[in-house]
Formats: sequence, structure tokens, C-alpha cells
Amino acid sequence: MSSKLGYIFIAPALVLAIYFFLTPVIMTGIFSLTNMSTATGITGGSYQITQSTLRNLGDQGFERKILKRIGSESYQVSKSTLLAAKEAEVNPELINELRENHLGESFKNRRLFERFLKTLDNRPRSTRALKATSPHFSRSLIKERFESKESFNQALKGLGLDLTPEQIIQLNEMSYTGWIWTLENFRKMVALPETKTNLINTAVYVTLTLILFNVGFALVLAVTTFYLPIKQAKIFRSLWFLPRITPSVLYVLLWKWLAWDTGFISAIVSNFGITPRNWMLDTAANAWVFVILINGFIGASMGMILFSSAIAAIPKQMIYAGEVDGANRWQQIRHIILPQIKWPILFVSVYQTLSLLTSFEHILLSTEGGPGTSTEVWALAAYHKALDNYWGNLQYGYGAALALVLVVVGVIMSLIYLRFFRFHELVKPPRID
Amino acid sequence: MLFFRHFSKRLVIGSLTVVVFFCLSMTRVVAKDITIQVWSGGTNVNDAYRIDAITMAADILEKEAAIRGETLNITVDGKYDFDGWGGFKQAVTLAAEAKKAPHIVVTGHGDIAPWSQSGLIRPIENYVDFDSWPLNDLFENLVEISSFEGTIYGVPQDAESRPFFAWIPYLKKIGYSNSDIRAMPEKIRKGQYTLYDMLDDAKKIQDAGLVKPGYGWYPRVSKGGDYWQFYQSFGGKMMDSKSGKLLFDRNAMKKFYAFFAKAVEMGVTRKNHIGTPWDQWYSEVASGKAGLWHGGTWHYARYTGKEGLKGFFDKIMFSLIPAGDKNGRANTITHPLVYLVTNRGSEADAEIAAQLISIASEPRINTLHAIKSAHLGIAKSQMSVPLYSNDRWASEATQRLLPYASAQPNHTGFAPYFDAMWKGLQAAWTGQKSPESAVSDVEAELRANLGSDIIIR
Repeated sequence: MSSKLGYIFIAPALVLAIYFFLTPVIMTGIFSLTNMSTATGITGGSYQITQSTLRNLGDQGFERKILKRIGSESYQVSKSTLLAAKEAEVNPELINELRENHLGESFKNRRLFERFLKTLDNRPRSTRALKATSPHFSRSLIKERFESKESFNQALKGLGLDLTPEQIIQLNEMSYTGWIWTLENFRKMVALPETKTNLINTAVYVTLTLILFNVGFALVLAVTTFYLPIKQAKIFRSLWFLPRITPSVLYVLLWKWLAWDTGFISAIVSNFGITPRNWMLDTAANAWVFVILINGFIGASMGMILFSSAIAAIPKQMIYAGEVDGANRWQQIRHIILPQIKWPILFVSVYQTLSLLTSFEHILLSTEGGPGTSTEVWALAAYHKALDNYWGNLQYGYGAALALVLVVVGVIMSLIYLRFFRFHELVKPPRID
Repeated sequence: MLFFRHFSKRLVIGSLTVVVFFCLSMTRVVAKDITIQVWSGGTNVNDAYRIDAITMAADILEKEAAIRGETLNITVDGKYDFDGWGGFKQAVTLAAEAKKAPHIVVTGHGDIAPWSQSGLIRPIENYVDFDSWPLNDLFENLVEISSFEGTIYGVPQDAESRPFFAWIPYLKKIGYSNSDIRAMPEKIRKGQYTLYDMLDDAKKIQDAGLVKPGYGWYPRVSKGGDYWQFYQSFGGKMMDSKSGKLLFDRNAMKKFYAFFAKAVEMGVTRKNHIGTPWDQWYSEVASGKAGLWHGGTWHYARYTGKEGLKGFFDKIMFSLIPAGDKNGRANTITHPLVYLVTNRGSEADAEIAAQLISIASEPRINTLHAIKSAHLGIAKSQMSVPLYSNDRWASEATQRLLPYASAQPNHTGFAPYFDAMWKGLQAAWTGQKSPESAVSDVEAELRANLGSDIIIR
């Protein structure tokens, strides 16, 4: 009974975990195995033969004669096309007029045929009606969009070509506008030179931010505020919390004001004859300094809070005993405080490595990966590919493949950390009780 | 008589009943209320007519319907405050995937290729007649740019071009006479004044202390189609017209990168120029803080409007982008925005949307947008609309630039090509890589990314 109750209690958390973690991960996995983009759409495609489909088929060695037949536009007023038009409920008076006066005429392309239709007495009275009429007289597939493979193949059959089943399959594949399953994304990832750059950038970003700020500076803050009177300590800690609670956009904007060539730094140093420059984007090194400062100031506060409470939990007697033995501040920190907060330090390292790996919003807002691609980290690259494109073609598939790599790296690292830090020992029941 | 009176009474009642029923049935059948959503990218207050023109068109279409005895109520719901082009395209594509796209989008013509493949947009030629007015009056090259694989998908909304600008007072100070300056656009067009001559002048302006270091040659501050102009200046082509494939000209790309690297090396352009805030850039170029620069024809409205520049024609010279060397040519790129009809709603809704676009493209209505936003016209007859022909900027810019304007290709692979070009340019510009190694990285990326879609030579 009690174990069942446990499941009930955990159910909300489980639902959330499935909804916010598992589903996105699975979707990312699925997307990454496709060539999905804006051009292919997400929900499926149609069948359409265009000039470039024909060119590509030609490059693949498809029989040129057939391609020419498929690709040559022609509109005919013939018994069979009139019948098709009749079945599709085209205005019977128009059909009669065509049959009586124009049987056997043919037109080189749609525009000419439609211009001809417009001269008839029973002409369709709207462009939409005209466009609904003309396809029935077409003797080609080009420019037609078929919603299903069946209707496409039906139309293909109507051309009266002698196609082998392989050729039909090839035509189906090449004319399909939707996404397909593929491992292309991963091949591309290996082949692209930017992959290496992004990998190195990510390593630099995570390592430096983690060591210098999320752990290093957080420790400095926690220890120094520990030795301050409680009230002052509280003020300092709250101040260092500001970056975390300021909205990201506003926070980064403040940094930008600081760094722009008409900004604060330039204004100050121009008094010393230094020409104004965009301090954030001047060189790759500048950009890195800012990226790490911007992220580090936010990251430091979490470590600070955890370390402070861990230090506060150290029995005061140990510190007093140390002082009685003549230990100076540094010795106290080195031999009493640090060993006692080993686990919080490990926890923060693990947690922050994983969160830094996937966080990119402050880089996006500040340098956008620049100058050039010198601060483009892996997660930002995934975002840029999947959701940001100047020319309207978002590459969901490739972006998902990049994101999947992060998921895999994250899972592997979690496993290593759990093992390496002997997590099971941490959660063992204490022996004293 | 009695019979007649009786009959006429019945007749009156009868016909009244018929009329009432007829009216009731008519209103039930043909009254149509529709809200047409219009989303417009890259649009600010000056470009409000991109949406307002649709509202005006709705009024006309309603009146046309009323004459035919139909009741049509159109509400136009416009939106243009997006987070830049990237944010706009993200919004449109994601909304479309969720089946919530607006009925009409105003966007760059480059989106036609991917969006038509995915069926996000409908061919506009299926709903409005390009053989009748006003669509038969559009410039043919603009209609061509609004098409993909032989199908017309959009109606050009405006045209523009991206000229080279020079601050005339500084040209005079480094030795140009009035007649030299007047002859300059023609000299540039003929290729007698190249990009490297331009860098020399930028250096002279800077050395004379007229502008601060890094302000001699002051290019666009963010990614944009403008940069392909410099590739073309050195003889590069973006697409092979014969095979319909993209084209990467290694040599032209290298010269294009080397030109910007040289500008930085000479100190006339800042190494960290990309990413300068637009507001700062506009105010600087409009107030003589920069010597030579390039921008868009629509900048005229900003310079003379918000930035308060007086006497534009005495202060700023504009022309095609100079040729880079003998292989290249002076050129400019036009990046027309287009009205597109999306897959939202029924065929009848799409027809209304397309008709609104057609009416909004009538010369007089489009001229309101062209002049207010300092864009160029889309139709031949706009030259005979007084508001257009009397505007010095519109008529001079149309004549000096538009005949030589080319466009970026409509091709689904152009997006990654553009990204790669831009990345390479930034790397060469900031000195992260030499032009040679930037070009070979771009080449490697294109081979991996586009495969047989691009010809590399």
C-alpha cells in the first residue's frame, strides 16, 4: 500500500518530467533523423515536378526522353481532356463552345491557354474559376501540385508513358516536397569545419565560466561574506543576486551600454586619449571576456547561496578551536571550511557544467556568437540553425541533430559525475542513527 | 375593376413577400465577414502603407462587392512590430506550422523558394489576373523576382536599391570639383572609378582629419544582401542561369573578402564595425561623421526625416556600387518585398486576400508607400503619378539605379550559402582568418552543406 501511495505522490513530478524533458528529447531524436526545414514543412509534403526536379533527375541519369515529355507543357482541347473537364463539372456551356469551335487546338503553355480561354463567350468569370478550369486540359505534370502519391501517380499514368516501377519510385522520391528520414545531418556535422570551432568555443565557455565564476568567485563571495557581520553580509549577498533576478534582456542591455563605442567605458577612457571602440566586439578575446563576465555574474550567485549556507552549517566550535590553535584566516579556510563544503562544491560543479552546456541566451543577446563565429557555442549554433534564418529557411532537422549531441553529452556526463562523486555514498542512511 | 384591385393587392403582397424573402436569402447567402491578417516584416512607421494599402483596398473591394449586390465586410488586422527579420521569419514559419499563419505576409522575395516548396504560400497567379490592370503594368523584372520555377507567387510590394553614398563637402575638400562630383555616378557606372579608388579617397578624407579613424568607409552594420554587391563588383555570380544551380566563384569571393580586410588594414573601416547599433550608424552617416558608405534607397527617408538632414542633394552623392576590378562591374542589388498569400483559410479567403493585394498595388496607392518610405515604384505608370514624378529622389534614384539592379536568387539552398558567405566575410574582416583561408572554409562548408546544388569554381 505504502509503495503505491509513493507512486501517487510522485505522479505530478513524473508527468512534468515526461512533458518537459522526455517528450522534447524524443522529439529532438526524431527530428534529428530527418531533413526537416521550412521548405519541407513538418507535417508532410506534396508531390510536385519542377524544372529543378527534372534537372536533378537528368543528373541522376534518368531517361531524357521521358523527362522531356514530363517537362514539356502542353494544353490541348481534345476529346479526352473535354471529358475530364466534364467530369470535374466545368461549365457545360464552355465545354460545348470548346468542342464545337476549338477541338484539336493545342497551346504551348498555361498562360497562352488561359489567355485563349479568356477570349471565349463562356469564359470563366473569375481568375479562380479560370485556374480551376485550365488544369483539366493539361498534358503535362509540371507546375501541378498533387496532395497525395496516388493522385500524382494517376496523373503520371495519364501521360501515357511507359514507365518501369523503379522509374515511378524515383519520380515519386524526387518530386516529394516533404521531409524524409536521413542520417545526412550527422554526416554534415562531421564534415563541416564550424563543428570544430563550436566545440572548442563550448569547452572554453563552460570551463572558464565554471572555474572562474560559478565555483571560484562563488566561493570567494561565500567565504568573505562569512567573515562579515551578518547584516553587511546580507547586503552583499543581495547585491550579488541582482544579475540573476534582472530580466536577461535588460541585464545584457546594461552591459551593452557599458561596452558600446559611445558607451560608458569608451567615454571614460577617451579622457586618456584612447579611441572609442566597441569593447564587447573589438576582438575575439574582448568578446570572451564579456561573455564570461555576463554569464559568470549570474552563475556566481547560485554557488554563493549554497556555499554560504553550507559554511553556516559548519559547527562553530571547529572554527573557534582552529582560532585557539592559532590558525590564521587562510588556514581556517584551507583546512576547515573547504573540506567541510566538498559536497556542495561538487554539486555546484556538476549542476553548472550541465546548465552552462545548454545555456546560450546571454550570448545570443550580447555578442550573437560574434565577432565572426568566435563566441558561437554549440547550443547557440543549434538555435541559429533551427530557429533563426535571414533567408526564411529554418533547418529544424540539422538544429535538432546539434541539440541531440548536447543531450547525449549531458546524459553521459551526468553518469560519469554520479559515479565519480560516489553519489550512492552521499545518499546512504547515516550510520549513527 | 374590383378584380383588378383585388389582383393588384395580391400582387403587391406577393411581390413584397418575394422581395423580403429574396433579400433575406441574399443576405444569408452572400454576406461575408472576414478578418484578413497582414504581417509585415522589416517594417517601421515610415512603411505603414504596406498594411494601410491593404486597408484602403478592403474599402474598395467592399464597394465593388456592394455594386454586385453582395455584402462583404473586411477587417484588416495588421502587425509589423517584429524583432528584426529573423524574428519575423521565425514567427511566420512557426505560426504556419501551427496553422495560424496570417492571410497575407509582406516579406523579402527570397522566402518564396522554401515557402512555396512547403506549401506555406499559394501561387497568387491562381487568384488574380496578371493580364489585367494593375498587375499587367508591373515591371517585368520585379514579377520575375516574385516567381519561382515559372509560377508567380507574389506581387512586388516595393522596389529599392542599395547605392554607394559619399559626403559631398568632404569630396570637395580632397580636391573634387563640382563637375567632378556631377560626373562621378557615370564614371562609376562605366567602371572608371573602382572600389580601391574609393578606399584611397576614404583614406584621404580621414588623413585630412575630416572624419575620425575608421569612419572613412563606413559600411552596413549587419548581415544583409548588400554585401553580395561587392562579390558582384569582383565578377562573382550567385546563380548559374543555365543550370539553375547556385554558383560560388572562389576567386571573386576571395577578392571581395580581401577588399574589406584591406579597408580594415588601411584603418578606414573599424575591425569591429559589424554590430554597431543601427541608430548610431544612421545618425553618424546623416550628419557627416562618415566619409563614404553604402546603404539603401529607403535611407533617404530616414536621413531627411528622423535624422533631420537638410539639403540632401548638396551633401550626398549616390551611385551604383563601384566595380572592384576589370572582371567586375558597377552594380546594385534590389531586394523587393513581396505580398504573399499563405495557405491560411479557404480558397475563397485566399481569393479575397489576393484581390486586396492586387488593388493595393494600383499605381496611386503604391505611390503613397513609395514616396512616404522613399522606396522605388513597382509599376511603369507610377512615373506618371504626379506624387511620384515630382519627387526628386524617387525619379532620380529610379533612373540612376533601377535599370542596373539585379536580385538575389530564389533558391532553397541560398540561405545556407548566404550564411556561409557572411561567416567568411566576418572572419576575414575581423582578421580571424586570412581571406584565402576564409574562402576555403566557406568552400568546405558549401560542399558539405549543399552538395550538388552549388557549382564551385
